[in-house]
Amino acid sequence: MRVRDIDKEKLVIANAIELIVQDGFQGFSMNKLAKACNISVATLYIYYKDKDDLIKKIGADIAIEFFSYTIENFSPDMTFEDGLWIQWQNRAAFTFKYPKKVAFFEVIKQSPHADDILNSTTKFSDFREIMKQFIYNALEKKELVELQFEVFWSIAYGPLYTLLNFHNDGKSMGGKPFKLTQDMMKEAFRGVIKALKP
Amino acid sequence: METDLDKIYIFKTNIAQLCTDCKVTKTLGNHADILQWSVDTEDIDCVLRIVSETLTAATIINIINSLGHECQELN
Repeated sequence: MRVRDIDKEKLVIANAIELIVQDGFQGFSMNKLAKACNISVATLYIYYKDKDDLIKKIGADIAIEFFSYTIENFSPDMTFEDGLWIQWQNRAAFTFKYPKKVAFFEVIKQSPHADDILNSTTKFSDFREIMKQFIYNALEKKELVELQFEVFWSIAYGPLYTLLNFHNDGKSMGGKPFKLTQDMMKEAFRGVIKALKP
Repeated sequence: METDLDKIYIFKTNIAQLCTDCKVTKTLGNHADILQWSVDTEDIDCVLRIVSETLTAATIINIINSLGHECQELN
């Protein structure tokens, strides 16, 4: 009898992330993955129908993990400044802890599966609802200037992701060695709050 | 509900293309004993995956062979 082997599944997921980050979505194949895991191709197909199915499932798992992580210790009723700072902290912590998963997600975002992944469970719409409520509350309390959503998002999170990218690359402009610190994050955050407060 | 892993059959085939109208799609899609099926046409082995409560690997191979395709169980 075949038994679901959690360790093997974890090995498959870890190797799939590794290979996709390394070779990109196009260069990835089920055969390569089976070889990297030292398991038979058949075993892989027991768990996943095909490459697309595998990428969608792993992508959805990571997205759920990420979104759950970002709402830890967070509530939409917080003041805008406190809430956004928690978002920054959580997003940075996730990137520090799981750089490969973040890199994987960046690759997948460019693939045709991004929409399928984000529509795969209601958990994502729950998350979107929480963040929408947070922004709505901040506007109501006059803690946030009214902006078009994309403009708001790029100001609120753009600086953080730029710094995190520098950190992950280990270098900033012109190849200057770089390591992100809490002080730098606070400095950037102060600039963001200045820009977003009425 | 999660699929019983013992009811999943994996085969190497030469089904390199699938279309809504072709024999493979029609036969597998209309088979009462096949709960789920898929062919990974992008894979070098064109892996066929079948979920069935009652069919055996040998029966499935016969079905695929009768449709003019090679089929070999992968273990």
